[in-house]
Amino acid sequence: MNKYLQVFKISFQQEFAYPLSFVMWRVRNVLQIFVVFFLWDTVFSFRESVLFGYDRDRILTYVFGLIFIKAFVLSARAQDVAGEIARGEIINYLLKPVNYFKYWLTRDISSKTLNLIFAVGEFILLYLILKPPFYFQTNPVQITLFLISIGLAILTYFLLLFIVNAIPFWAPEMGWGGHFLVTVILVEFLSGSLFPLDILPVNIQNVLSFTPFPYIIFFPLQVYLGKVTGILLFKGIVVAIFWIIVLWFFMNWVWSKGFKAYQAYGR
Amino acid sequence: MDVRRLFYYFKIWLFMSKNSFLMVLNQKSVLLIFLIGKVLRFLFFIAFLFFLVSGAENLAGYNSTQSIFFFLSFMIIDTTSQFFFREVYRFRTYVVTGDFDLILAKPMSALFRVLMGGADVIDLITLPPLYAATSYVGNLLSPTPFQVFIYLLLLLTGLLITTAFHIIVISFGIITLEVDHSIMIYRDITAMGRFPIDIYKEPLKGILTYFIPVAIMMTFPAKAFMGLVNFQGLLSAIVIGGVFMFVALRFWNFALKKYTSASS
Repeated sequence: MNKYLQVFKISFQQEFAYPLSFVMWRVRNVLQIFVVFFLWDTVFSFRESVLFGYDRDRILTYVFGLIFIKAFVLSARAQDVAGEIARGEIINYLLKPVNYFKYWLTRDISSKTLNLIFAVGEFILLYLILKPPFYFQTNPVQITLFLISIGLAILTYFLLLFIVNAIPFWAPEMGWGGHFLVTVILVEFLSGSLFPLDILPVNIQNVLSFTPFPYIIFFPLQVYLGKVTGILLFKGIVVAIFWIIVLWFFMNWVWSKGFKAYQAYGR
Repeated sequence: MDVRRLFYYFKIWLFMSKNSFLMVLNQKSVLLIFLIGKVLRFLFFIAFLFFLVSGAENLAGYNSTQSIFFFLSFMIIDTTSQFFFREVYRFRTYVVTGDFDLILAKPMSALFRVLMGGADVIDLITLPPLYAATSYVGNLLSPTPFQVFIYLLLLLTGLLITTAFHIIVISFGIITLEVDHSIMIYRDITAMGRFPIDIYKEPLKGILTYFIPVAIMMTFPAKAFMGLVNFQGLLSAIVIGGVFMFVALRFWNFALKKYTSASS
């Protein structure tokens, strides 16, 4: 346990090795929130009624919630794993008495902690600038389930990353390509990170609800906003856990196959 | 610059682009995966806009066809500039390894080399369908020939401004060694132009029009196509584009003087 604590500390300090780079990454997040905020603010500016199942307070809370959820779920160092495999550097870790999976999970948690600290500052700053109406969830059960759904989202995203990271075992040049397709395109659009998935037709929503993507961003925010309750909430949590189990077994299978195919080019 | 010099640079560009294309075409699986990603992103966004504006009935007063046309005009400028200026994304390596020295020593403009030295074949593949889609959606808006002419003129102004932005990014890279995030911040800022600039409130709207002229780059062409830009608007767009380019070139000259060749 102590060694992972040390990994956490070192990883946390490493984030400050390139402070300008980190600050610019956070600036990018703020800019993205700006676009989404103004888009929805305009859509609701002349509207008192509910649209896509949201009133003005809830939709702007969704946008502001993205700051936290993205900082907590999508900030991950584990995306560097593909590069380590492609360059052959992963064999250094295989010789050490550390669990590679736990090592990167620890680094991810370290990154998430730092990003969350900055997200709090950004939230306050944007709140003061934009002064949006805000929906505060007061139901302790709903808040507890919201925190659980975030935990499930972190695990889902981490497992997805590790599966995509395995591509360079067979095709070292395709590491970034896999990330681009899965984490930049599919997760961006299908997780609810750009827009709430409720605006899509019901048929598409139903199909998406059986994929892991909505449980990364959209579902936790729905739980916070109180839009998912009762049996639907229970179903959502069950599906999220189901996906974690499936992804976990699939990741183990892919990585065991990958190690057998791996030739550690570059080392 | 005389015509012979222009041909000289055009031949160099063709040569560099050919090399760049061969490098990408050599890895067909990578090409395919990025192509699929870009097409998916485009289709997802069009679908999102369509469902959003159809549900909301309008976006800042524009209907779904008009909103999609704004997005397509944004895509034309964004994708065309990425096609020409992909080399900017590799510029940091030249500076940190000292390879930039070798570029400076060659008998051609270093700015031309680092800006246009690696045209992107993936963007080249996506451009014809994009132009066709824009023509199709534009045709639904029934523009006059004059509106089409002003639209094309403002697209060129937009490309001039995006060129200036890329020059500023690489100049900033020489001074700070930071390019990767700068170029992505540039892209995040210009991404504000995926929607009509009318959705933003003051002072952000003013900043995006005059200080960081995203509105002129992305929104003005589509507005002109719909007959919503007057002569003063057109003139100010061209002037701001020229001023922005002038400032970018001055900043490039300033940055070059700060280059220390420390890594070579």
